Amino acid sequence: MGTVISQVTTVDVELRINATTRQLALDPRTTLLDALREHLDLTGTKKGCDHGQCGACTVHVNGRRVLSCLTLAVAAQGKDITTIEGVADGDQLHPMQQAFLDHDGFQCGYCTSGQIMSALALLREPCGASDDEVRECMSGNLCRCGAYSNIIAAIQDVRATHAHEA
Amino acid sequence: MSRSKALGAPSAPKVLGGKLPRIDGPLKVSGRATYTSDISLPGMLYAVPVRSTIASGRVVAIDDRVARKMLGVRAIYYRGNIRPFFRSGPAQGFSGLIDEKRPPFEDDVVRYYGQYVAVAVAQTMEQAKAAADAVRVQYAADAHNVERRLVAEKSLETDSERGDAEGAFKSAPVQIDQTYVTPTEVHNPIELHATVAAWEGDRVTLYETTQAVMNHREVLYQMLGVPKENVRVVSHFLGSGFGGKLWPWSHSILAAGVAREVGAPVKLVVTRQAMFETVGHRPRTQQRFRLGATRDGKLVSMQHEYLNETSILDAYKEDCGEATPFMYSVPNLRVASALARRNIGTPTAMRGPGAVPGLFAMESAMDELAIALNMDPIELRRRNEPLQDESTKLPFSSRHLVECMQVGAEKFGWARRDPRVGAMKRDGLTIGWGMATCSWGAMRSDAQATVEIQRDGTMSVTTATQDIGTGTYTVLALVASEATGIPLDKIDVGLGDTTLPPGPISGGSWATASVIPAVSAAARAAVRSLLTLSTSGKNAAFAGATPDDLHFANGRAARKSDPSSGVPLGDVLARANVRAAVGSGQSRTTFGGEESRKYSLHSFGAQFAEVTWQPETARLRVSRFVSVIDAGRMINPKPARNQIEGAVVMGIGMALFEEARYDKRYGAPINSNLADYIVSTNADAPAIDVTFLDYPDLVLNELGARGVGEIGLAGTAAAITAAVHHATGVRVRELPVRIEDLLRA
Repeated sequence: MGTVISQVTTVDVELRINATTRQLALDPRTTLLDALREHLDLTGTKKGCDHGQCGACTVHVNGRRVLSCLTLAVAAQGKDITTIEGVADGDQLHPMQQAFLDHDGFQCGYCTSGQIMSALALLREPCGASDDEVRECMSGNLCRCGAYSNIIAAIQDVRATHAHEA
Repeated sequence: MSRSKALGAPSAPKVLGGKLPRIDGPLKVSGRATYTSDISLPGMLYAVPVRSTIASGRVVAIDDRVARKMLGVRAIYYRGNIRPFFRSGPAQGFSGLIDEKRPPFEDDVVRYYGQYVAVAVAQTMEQAKAAADAVRVQYAADAHNVERRLVAEKSLETDSERGDAEGAFKSAPVQIDQTYVTPTEVHNPIELHATVAAWEGDRVTLYETTQAVMNHREVLYQMLGVPKENVRVVSHFLGSGFGGKLWPWSHSILAAGVAREVGAPVKLVVTRQAMFETVGHRPRTQQRFRLGATRDGKLVSMQHEYLNETSILDAYKEDCGEATPFMYSVPNLRVASALARRNIGTPTAMRGPGAVPGLFAMESAMDELAIALNMDPIELRRRNEPLQDESTKLPFSSRHLVECMQVGAEKFGWARRDPRVGAMKRDGLTIGWGMATCSWGAMRSDAQATVEIQRDGTMSVTTATQDIGTGTYTVLALVASEATGIPLDKIDVGLGDTTLPPGPISGGSWATASVIPAVSAAARAAVRSLLTLSTSGKNAAFAGATPDDLHFANGRAARKSDPSSGVPLGDVLARANVRAAVGSGQSRTTFGGEESRKYSLHSFGAQFAEVTWQPETARLRVSRFVSVIDAGRMINPKPARNQIEGAVVMGIGMALFEEARYDKRYGAPINSNLADYIVSTNADAPAIDVTFLDYPDLVLNELGARGVGEIGLAGTAAAITAAVHHATGVRVRELPVRIEDLLRA
């Protein structure tokens, strides 16, 4: 029989999420994803595989897209974390959110938070201009409903009309 | 002329058929739509099952001494220390369905890898996971069977037969006799299956990832042994399911059971790995397809003999012959099938069950026949277009398959096709073109709905069906708005809760067709109720008038003869001292109904695929796709188009990527994650051109609308493998297409 960790206490963790600082006492094994979902009621970020393979848990850490299921919460301290809940300006949707809505860039909506977080990060990445290049840059975010064409249309729409805001 | 056009479709509705965004869209793009595993309740505990690490044998002993003493652990449950679960009785129609019928812990026998043998309950997810890993299970393993080559457990049984198929085949001048294989496919919705169970006394609420809340309650109350009215099932948003979330799975029963034992709400989220083991899959099929034809391409014989794998205990049949008897005109036909038992989890319906693997075989065989005849594949199908459903001798309610092929051919540019293998080139790549036809049943099930028009001018629409991403929330708001004139922003649609009027399953592509008539009737009844209120009682706005003298428009009741006489609906209700004008509506099922005795009800379509092939690097891509669908009227074309595009994307996965493989040594699905079980990514999705023919099927419902959730996947893989053959000369009869196959080119 292998060694079993049977007694684990919590560690204090301070996370800055959507410009708000949150204090938590977490099991050190807690991922950033589970901290958001199970401890902070920020459930817009989704769990699809817990293995960094589907992209549903994508958030921004210091402005770059990161898979929150592969990030320990303790390792995200002192960094700026943005989740889907921090994207809109109050009730005013971000242009990327509005574009996903206008282009029907989803069906069930479960992967959508991760798609939008990746799409927003992509605006600041050296992704080429063509649809094919955007497809490549968005291929870490699986959409089993297959709304890929509409996702690309939404992103290209935003890139064409809001490039200066990125 | 089509029958539906001859009948005369209703005049074009005002709001239907437009390009409106989904009404639930703002919630989905802002992360505020609440899915099952988003639910957290005060005092909630987490459950993590322990999964068997053998595929066949017995549990000899379970040692939980370490696990149950770990920090935060509340309990470890297994057979013998938890109240046993019952089996649910036989299903009645589409109520009470469950594919894996054995409840967890019923006996100590293990019949597949990953079967639940215990469950850990703890305060946090991390603690429960660590405790589940610390439970020591001792097994007595037996030999297991996860063989890929399927062997029938019994002789084949005939599903459909006419004429002398064997005799006609033997004497046919041109013969095709091939075996086609489709692999084990896993639904893999991105949302993990999950249950949050909360008891209050002897009543339980289950927040559940289900495509069928009513069915879920019907099964769970029986398995838990409580009165039906004590079980409430809620599914407000579903991260899709593709059939995998139609019927209950063991985790739901486990979650409800352990929540009852520990006396606290429990959340159980199934891992991606476990979703390859315990929540169903499309079973592997092995289909021998034989065609006999004359030299001018008239079919004289069709034989479809198929096997599908199933689990040891459950006889799940993948109905591959679903479309075979009616797709083409052929006087001699036989469809027969049998099962092959395996030590695997129980299979279940996956998008287009039966028809999707069945049409892969049939349409591949038709393509091979066209090549053998040196005939255009569209021309071959045109020559075998039936005048009626030859299996039932019934007319089709609406069939425009030939037009689908014509329109598709024009859009695709099929006339420019050079049929010689490898003859077409572009940008240094070899181009392959292929086509196939498709079909899916057009059905309707029982549904009820309630509409309430409130004094403030808002309206609620409720029915216990679900929106799994198909746009049900939006379609129902559109239909209710159409019937009442109340604008969309004043309509609230409530779905996914067993406390609402019983609605249909979100499956079979019939939720839309079933609910529309019920909601439409309920909305009309609510308006009628409002008009009746405005003519009766001492304060009536239109005393002395009859409801037939009045109409309701722009939120006001008015005399038809004098539109300026309008009274706001709020006043009508206030004068009558009534809170809201309420209407109920229902629709009946077509299963066994009059329509299905008079008509053969199906949707049809044609799929055209282009692949590019780079022999130097064995690189194959699907570069272009045209899909033409004859599925009645599209109530909301935008999500409908999205459904077909998404199905084509899944079809590319079926053709080129997807297969769950069982490891011979341990019997485990070995590629049980999203890196090794490959689904289409954004970069795999080509330009997809979707056309709806828009012939309303008025036999099916008043708006002539059929569902489109499944048909887009049918025929897609066959069109792609036909294109692969055209490009490479390699005929792939066992999916998915592998580089190893293409290296034979």
